[in-house]
Amino acid sequence: MRRSLIIRRLMATTLPAAMVLGSVSSTAVAEPLIARNMSSFGMPGGIDTPTAEMLPDGTLGGTVSYSDYALRNNVTFQAMPRLTTALRYSRIDGINDHNDLGHIWDRSLDLRLLLLEQQGWRPAVAVGLMDFLGTGVHSGEYLVATKDITPQLRASVGLGWGALAGQPRSIDIRDEGGTPKVEDWFSGTPKPFASLNWQVNDRLSLVAEYSYNNYRASYTNGDTVWEIQQGEDEPGSNLNLGAYYSFGRSYQVGLYTIGGETIGAQFSFALNPRTAPYPSGLEKAPAPVRPRPSRTSDPEGWSGQWAADPTAQPAIQAALGDALMEEGIVLEGMVLTANRAEARIENQRYIQQAEAIGRTARLMTRALPPSVDTLVITSTPDGVPTSSVTLRRSDVERLENSPAGEIAAVAQISDAAPRPQGLVYSDELYPDFSWRLGPYLDLGLFDPDDPLRYEVGAELSGIWELVPGLVLTGRVRQGFFGNIDQRGPGIPPELNGGERGDHYTPEEYESDPSLETTPEGVPRVRSDTRMYTGNSSPTIPELTLAWYAKPTENVYTRVTAGLLERAYGGISAEVMWWPTSSPLALGVEVNRVRKRDFDSLFSFRDYEATTAFVSAYYQFAQGYSAELDIGQYLAGDKGATVTLAREFANGWRVGAYVTKTDLSAEEFGEGSYDKGIMLSLPLSWATGKPSRNRATTTIRSLSRDGGARVDVSGRLYDTLRDSHEVELYQGWGRFWR
Amino acid sequence: MTTTRNRILAAALLPLLAACGSDTETGGSPWDVLARTAVEAAAAKTAPGAPAAQPKSPEEAAAEALRVNPGPLIRASFELLNQNPIMAMAGQNGDMRTYMTPAEDALILRNGLLVGTRGLGQDLSVAVAQTEPLIRAGRAGSGQRTMYYYTGDGLERPLQFACTVGAGPKPGVMVEDCEGHGASFQNSYLVQGGQVPVSRQWIGPALGYVTIQTLRP
Repeated sequence: MRRSLIIRRLMATTLPAAMVLGSVSSTAVAEPLIARNMSSFGMPGGIDTPTAEMLPDGTLGGTVSYSDYALRNNVTFQAMPRLTTALRYSRIDGINDHNDLGHIWDRSLDLRLLLLEQQGWRPAVAVGLMDFLGTGVHSGEYLVATKDITPQLRASVGLGWGALAGQPRSIDIRDEGGTPKVEDWFSGTPKPFASLNWQVNDRLSLVAEYSYNNYRASYTNGDTVWEIQQGEDEPGSNLNLGAYYSFGRSYQVGLYTIGGETIGAQFSFALNPRTAPYPSGLEKAPAPVRPRPSRTSDPEGWSGQWAADPTAQPAIQAALGDALMEEGIVLEGMVLTANRAEARIENQRYIQQAEAIGRTARLMTRALPPSVDTLVITSTPDGVPTSSVTLRRSDVERLENSPAGEIAAVAQISDAAPRPQGLVYSDELYPDFSWRLGPYLDLGLFDPDDPLRYEVGAELSGIWELVPGLVLTGRVRQGFFGNIDQRGPGIPPELNGGERGDHYTPEEYESDPSLETTPEGVPRVRSDTRMYTGNSSPTIPELTLAWYAKPTENVYTRVTAGLLERAYGGISAEVMWWPTSSPLALGVEVNRVRKRDFDSLFSFRDYEATTAFVSAYYQFAQGYSAELDIGQYLAGDKGATVTLAREFANGWRVGAYVTKTDLSAEEFGEGSYDKGIMLSLPLSWATGKPSRNRATTTIRSLSRDGGARVDVSGRLYDTLRDSHEVELYQGWGRFWR
Repeated sequence: MTTTRNRILAAALLPLLAACGSDTETGGSPWDVLARTAVEAAAAKTAPGAPAAQPKSPEEAAAEALRVNPGPLIRASFELLNQNPIMAMAGQNGDMRTYMTPAEDALILRNGLLVGTRGLGQDLSVAVAQTEPLIRAGRAGSGQRTMYYYTGDGLERPLQFACTVGAGPKPGVMVEDCEGHGASFQNSYLVQGGQVPVSRQWIGPALGYVTIQTLRP
């Protein structure tokens, strides 16, 4: 049922013509209005005001907007066709806090939901929340309608609350923030706003808007409320003007005035997952399928008698292994009988496992005697057999150069047998040692004194696969330069005469073990993470021995021991139940760890902890996935993490997570609970070159002690997912590539 | 003081650090890959300026290819890429032939009609043309043509075109006019005894037309 649905999706659809042809033909179907320019808040919009426009589904973009009022760094993601999200990190000028910098750095999150699409006389209508996690400078809500008046002229009219109405919500300075205040939403007297966008030509658009945002902020300590002007003065009028110019496939620059006196400039870029520079990839063409000779021309091959010859399999296996190696695929082992061949492969080159399987199938038709009519290709990431794709050789011969959906319809995907009879491992593959020496770049975000911190150095890493599934991994780093200096955690104001913003020196922190617990009694498991940076001598971020196994058809295990990450060492064990055809996976993970010394070498500190989780993973149709982890975290706190992600067939993954544990907001500190967003983009998408490398990052709120987990590499879900059925089918379009 | 020393050291060492290792396939970090790509792109940009080994005339190239290559050969002229490589048959499956350049870019033809391309970045995955028998028989008529493309979001997408086939202005040349999705293209085929020794066919919106000429059938 599910399977046929997936296949239909593979073969299907009339929708994307415009996207292939690059033409934007108007269709009768109602579609979201696509933004012409980004606002200074990094959302589709006017200049400061919102519109009911969206971005193309899945678009990931960034906008940096700078004026005398603020510097706003925005990351925008069109999470669903009708849902736009933006994460913002702004420097707001004119407001002073304990850091005494004349400005504050502020994080905020926006959502916009499209309620109605433009159709006929009806405008598009959207509702939005700005800065809605806790009360912030930008907190406000809106309802907005947008309509194309002529093909060039687009108008938006809306009602705004909070900051959009010039009525900033009062920020309680005693509050840790981070929690939505639903009772404040749409409260106060709304004020109207409007914008007009004139598209002069393909590249240039001019915008005028009317806005009640007066750039004020309001603070309270419970008794008094005081208002502060952002920047130097209130905008001189409610009228803002802007011009935006798009260039290249994905860039835009803009100039605008706020109230006629303040001038701002901005730069935006947007990546649309659908418009890769080389969508089909630049890898070499695969080997053509070689059809079998007729029975009369090769009676011996067809008879299968060759299988009795003990020299046959080694010769065939070596030839196939060499050919696969050229394609970036390791032939780990093989089961060969007169009429069936199973190849166990580890894909080292292609982001889509289906492409590795397709190329293996092609090469098997070239290497195997004609009596072999069943081809089985088993994926073995990290030496663990996951799924087997079974193909009739005649189907491979018949369907070469046909749409990928046709071979999907006749391919059987099943759980791989853990230990099939007759499996012969390839000669001289193990132990397999590989190493790399190269530069590294570490980035640190969100430090108010220096929002972008970095460290550059050299890293030597090695991976030694002793036997399939047993892997020794090590890394050594030497930092050269950067500004992520070693530093103790912040001194709690109550211990510092009420002063905020001071930090312990490394010496102070190291000499007094009692400081490794916060005054609230929470062990410092992550808030002293800066103690591990800025080392001038070599460090060992990772040195582990990992053992992967598959005890039964549906159950996988991992045990990793050693220096698991920069700050913790110990042992990590994981069991996962995941039948290949199941969209649901269940896992249990237990880690027993000890905190490492700040030099990141072989010595340890006193803190020991056990973390344990029960996890459920679910891959919904249409590329959405969810993960739920319940258990005990590093500081001994108990709670749960919910992760939601959007996953594209091209390998893009964009997700967000929230962790809430039994630590109170006061014990947790600023932000109240842990949350963050994750981005992972395959580099091959950008370069066209085949590679399994990804650019991956997690943007989270400050390093806090609540909801922290041990960062073990090679977790089972990440190891197995590429070759399980859902993602195999998702990438099946590359089977014949 | 130490910072200054470190910086000098770093400046001296970093160029040496263009990553190296036993296995560039799996070991690379994102920025190795980007660096490699940039270096390759730079190299590719400078290459045309460098004096190439005596450029061969198309005739010389064809003659040499025929001499060293015993099998079937074609010359493919990609109009938008401005390239006209000679491609040798790398495999045959029924009436389908895969021709490759030395760099292993491929064209797949079925009796001379374009079925797909590989390695060009904006490939045609598969073409399924109902008009094929008409073209081969030299008869007029109409039929649907479905062109499959692998798009940036990771799916193989079909585009359907309505096509009419008829005799072209030149004798022996069949012309196929296709339209759909606001785009149109025209393929032309010189048909001789069911074979297509010369043709000009549309690959797709990004790659445009390719002219295929049989050097040795």
